Amino acid sequence: MMSDVLIQLFAEVLHLDPSGLNEDSSPDNVKKWDSLAAMDLVAAIEEKFNVQLSTKEIMKMYTIGRARKTLQGKGVAV
Amino acid sequence: MTPADAKQSWRPYKAQQEQDQNAVFDIRIAIAGSMTIEPLEAYLGAHLLQRKFKPTFTIGPFNQVRQICSDYRATLGVDNLNVIVLLWRIEDMFPEMLTRCLESPAAVGDLLAELKGLVGAVAELRRSFHGTLIVSTPPYPSMPGFELLDIGQASLGMTLFNTILQFWTREVAQLERVRIFDLHGLLLRAGLSHAQDVRKWMLYRQPYTENFWFDVGNMLARMIAAEKVSPKKCVVLDLDNTLWGGIVGEDRLEGIQLGDDFPGKAYRDFQRHLLHLKNKGILLAVASKNNPEDAYEVFDKHDAMILSRKDIAVFEVHWESKVESIKRIAKKLNIGIDSLVFVDDNPKEIGEVSERLPDVSCVLVPEELADLPGLLAETDFFDIAEVTDEDRRRTEMMAADNLRQQTQEAMSEEEFRKSLKLKIEVFEIEKHHLSRVTQLINKSNQFNLTTIRRTQDEVETLANSGSAMVLGMDIQDKYGDYGLVGVAILQKESRICIIDTLLMSCRVLGRGAEETFIAKLAEAAHKLGCDELRGNYIPTAKNAMVKDLYHRFQFTRLDQSDEWTIKIKDVPRAPQHIDATLSTRAESSARRSA
Repeated sequence: MMSDVLIQLFAEVLHLDPSGLNEDSSPDNVKKWDSLAAMDLVAAIEEKFNVQLSTKEIMKMYTIGRARKTLQGKGVAV
Repeated sequence: MTPADAKQSWRPYKAQQEQDQNAVFDIRIAIAGSMTIEPLEAYLGAHLLQRKFKPTFTIGPFNQVRQICSDYRATLGVDNLNVIVLLWRIEDMFPEMLTRCLESPAAVGDLLAELKGLVGAVAELRRSFHGTLIVSTPPYPSMPGFELLDIGQASLGMTLFNTILQFWTREVAQLERVRIFDLHGLLLRAGLSHAQDVRKWMLYRQPYTENFWFDVGNMLARMIAAEKVSPKKCVVLDLDNTLWGGIVGEDRLEGIQLGDDFPGKAYRDFQRHLLHLKNKGILLAVASKNNPEDAYEVFDKHDAMILSRKDIAVFEVHWESKVESIKRIAKKLNIGIDSLVFVDDNPKEIGEVSERLPDVSCVLVPEELADLPGLLAETDFFDIAEVTDEDRRRTEMMAADNLRQQTQEAMSEEEFRKSLKLKIEVFEIEKHHLSRVTQLINKSNQFNLTTIRRTQDEVETLANSGSAMVLGMDIQDKYGDYGLVGVAILQKESRICIIDTLLMSCRVLGRGAEETFIAKLAEAAHKLGCDELRGNYIPTAKNAMVKDLYHRFQFTRLDQSDEWTIKIKDVPRAPQHIDATLSTRAESSARRSA
């Protein structure tokens, strides 16, 4: 799990240790993941994977697992 | 640096600072806005890191601009700030009123009255906050009714916005020491459609793209850095293929390219920009390998020349090396070699100068000539916090200098000194001197005993404190007025008066100005109730010229330190040929009331 790019990215933006995050991590169970962090996450994901997310997609990404699915749906290998 | 690089450099810095309880910051900044502005922190932070600052940030609460203005300490929760930045938009702060204006243009009066109230709030913040205050222009509204392409009719939205923008800019410009950050202008430069991110606006009330925040960060970092960093003072210009196209020695006057059609237009517009710089107080000089008469002929006779001979402070036109020319220019203008920018079209010249004079900032004329006019416009070489009268008059003062030099060559030193009819006024500074005094404190390098830099607010606080005195020195002679060219700060510690700051512009040295200044400082110290003067010499890379200053004026050294002392009664008198006066605030206000 340590080498997972997406988890690493979430950890970096949220200032957390990657070991504390998993596919079910969401704003409900990660305290630092507030709406400002969500905004930062969107910016970081778009930059890192060179994609543009729609508001619909952003709204759907409320867990890391969902984010992974959304990105895979856009052809990003994560 | 790209936006991604900026985030890469900011994140580890911030993480480290957050862990380190004893982290030292040299600049504490609060940023707040009527919209979500959090993305700005990383970009402004990274741009400040790049300029060698160690910043820390406080982010103000969302859309509480007014509350910050009326009580910034309570609203921001911090007290020891150096900078407050406020970004605001009309549609966030006055949404209903803005909509009403679109329906009925008569409502504009009400909106302007509200704006006036906001200006008043900013003025209130200015009074209570002593650091640097930066307030944005409102950007073009992003809301229904303000579409840019209103096909078929003149846009009411645009007219309305222009009225608001003009009103705001004019009102805020009248406030003292409020710096305007042109958010609207930056938005225009980026292009509204590139700068705005409607998704983020909808989701997070955050209107802009990362790229645009990156630009905002860069611009604000420039504004903040300009308060502390000395700007460049002079542009040294090559002539052939730099100020005009072609080679005057070969193509003759008629053959060079300069005029209203490309490529002549590129050179002409570049000259226009240089003239603009000159009017802002930047000196222009010429270093060219040419026959002097050919070069002067273009300045004197070519119809399309924008620059005239009197715009150029020094000409070095001959066949010797440019390195020598540049050294001579720095010497003649009495400015540090690191305050020069050198522009040339020849990579070999640029290479030689940057190798032998690494402190000179070298700029090569671009391959794409269309970029020439904007060559110096987008740099931070000339960023200054404020343009003073002394800046605007600098070239005229240089011309007077040349006249002095010619006279000096014809007379003995003593005759010359007497003939100058030097008049020196030393005075306790008033409010209207603050910007010039702060500028000198932050850019004088050579004749500067302690090189302590201060912001305008720090200077003002000292000037108003009972135990310190901030003194300015004005010099004139029969050739002209140098203006305010010397600053000293005295701090009283019971019977001892500490010379905290002592600096002078190098152009006035060697005519008795130093002697007079010291003599008047002693007089001022006496008025503060002291009987001893003490001064420090803090060596820097550039101030070796004043290493022995206190020794020269018969101060004695305090056991091996760099501190020097003298009894006030022992301070040498000012030279007799100089008409010197000292006035303190108490005296000038007594004079006024009489």
